[in-house]
Amino acid sequence: MYLNTRSPHFELLFRTVSALMTGLSISLLLFILWAILWQGWGPLSLDFVLSPMRGAGGEGGIWYQILGTVLLLITSATVATPFAVALSLLQTHYFSRSRYRKLVSSILHLLNGTPSILFGILGFVFFVKWLEWEKSWLAGGIILGMMILPTVTLALVQRMETIPKSYIEEAMSMGMTEDQITWAVHVPYGWGGLLTGLVLGLARAAGETAPIMFTAAVFSGAGFPSGIKDSPILALPYHIFNLAQDAYSPNAIETAWATAATLTAVVLTMSLIALPFRARSHEEAKK
Amino acid sequence: MTKSFVFLLSFFAVGFICFLGAILFFQALPFLSSDSGLLSWGYWDFREGEYHALSMVWGSVVVAVIALGLAFPVGLGASIFVSEYLTGKKRAAAKMAIELLAGVPSVVYGLLGVAFLRNWIFSPLQSMGAPSSDTLFTGGVLLAIMVLPTMMSFSDDALRCVPRRIREAGWGMGLSHSQTVLTLVLPQAKSGILGAVMLSFGRAIGETIAVFLVIGRSDQLFSPESFSLTSVLRAGQTLTTKLGGSEISIAYGDPHHWSALMALGGLLWIGIAALTYFSEFVLPKRIHVP
Repeated sequence: MYLNTRSPHFELLFRTVSALMTGLSISLLLFILWAILWQGWGPLSLDFVLSPMRGAGGEGGIWYQILGTVLLLITSATVATPFAVALSLLQTHYFSRSRYRKLVSSILHLLNGTPSILFGILGFVFFVKWLEWEKSWLAGGIILGMMILPTVTLALVQRMETIPKSYIEEAMSMGMTEDQITWAVHVPYGWGGLLTGLVLGLARAAGETAPIMFTAAVFSGAGFPSGIKDSPILALPYHIFNLAQDAYSPNAIETAWATAATLTAVVLTMSLIALPFRARSHEEAKK
Repeated sequence: MTKSFVFLLSFFAVGFICFLGAILFFQALPFLSSDSGLLSWGYWDFREGEYHALSMVWGSVVVAVIALGLAFPVGLGASIFVSEYLTGKKRAAAKMAIELLAGVPSVVYGLLGVAFLRNWIFSPLQSMGAPSSDTLFTGGVLLAIMVLPTMMSFSDDALRCVPRRIREAGWGMGLSHSQTVLTLVLPQAKSGILGAVMLSFGRAIGETIAVFLVIGRSDQLFSPESFSLTSVLRAGQTLTTKLGGSEISIAYGDPHHWSALMALGGLLWIGIAALTYFSEFVLPKRIHVP
């Protein structure tokens, strides 16, 4: 069959097909958002958000699941921040002309691609079995912190690379030492990068189930943690995961949808906050 | 002082990553060196001491191939439209939609799969002879939706990396828009699009939770007498759903069983690392956004 690519019909066909593909992708998003709202809106209420779970998960609310997820996020941000700052300073400042820079960024790249279930299992081996902690919020927070480390570091590196050379030259001309330059130029300039990186990373961490299912989260029987390394927690994604496996109980599924609506709202809000940053760095790629 | 502190923290972070990798390697080693035939023909049943990973490798590959088979044409077509035909605000809006699609947590995709996809897919699957709707095929379809944003945004980057003057040259020669894309832009963006496919493939293989909920999790596909290509329409298992299952908590007491599971984890990691590594060569030099 001979296809005349010069004909205006072909142009129209090409444009229509690619537009249809775009339309399909966008309607998928709209459908997903609509389905979550449609299923989750009914059972969702302030009371649902603020009251603890009762029974086998079909009744009550998700208060402790929310607290657990927030605790995990705070822990992982606290864990990731110092290491991300150090790694980004290493890459942009100390190793800026060194071949080790490539090595460090390759390792972070590998870490970024590592399936989240492996984090969960290795965390289980190290924290729960070797160190003999119980399932705990601390273990889960550390594992999630490791998982978001590449994201936060990359955002910081990108930010620090935009520091104008003149800032550093002027600092040097004032006779500042290397350490003083780090604290006076790099660190203050990097703040914005750290914040966007954290928001991006935490948006991902909040929705992750696999890394916490063996290290931190239980389905029921935990409230506010009383200990540090022996207190398991409840968490939003793990809650949905368990209720979804109980797919034939209408009560469980209803709660699962309401929980999913809450989690999606939180995660997408965070993605939207970080959106200008992501859009910008994608646009820069075309230069 | 600051410098040594930075080096110390970095060393600790990189060291801990390597340490976790070493745990996986050394725990998998006893099983791998015991001549147990991880990749030989057979099934997985820890009660009988049968540890053959072929069902899971097959499951992972099939699921990812189905996902890419569906997501590749849609993702590429959409990225061509977004990058070549849309401009300004419309383009920004379309890109925002992609980012939002990527932001939905995987457990929520799993719930959507359990509540909708499984029911919708049931009658067509049944007419093809599938006993239930928890199949490898269902997992693949669900994954297709999940890797679509990856496919789209990386192809879009690849297309945007082609300099504008190449398009202008095409238009100047009187080529139509579609001819410019097909004969000038796509060949230039080829390697970037290959990179997008590899990264999407890696993401599909590494995804756990959503697939876990719809795949049926049966280890029996590769019992020698029963294997056939129609296993795509049966309940199956991928490497990740195996590792995410309850066997992890049972296995720790039995060194051989545990080591076999760690070997599965090693297999998974090597596969993903290879995909990530090679995609770095083919992806255009761009600012990486995780």
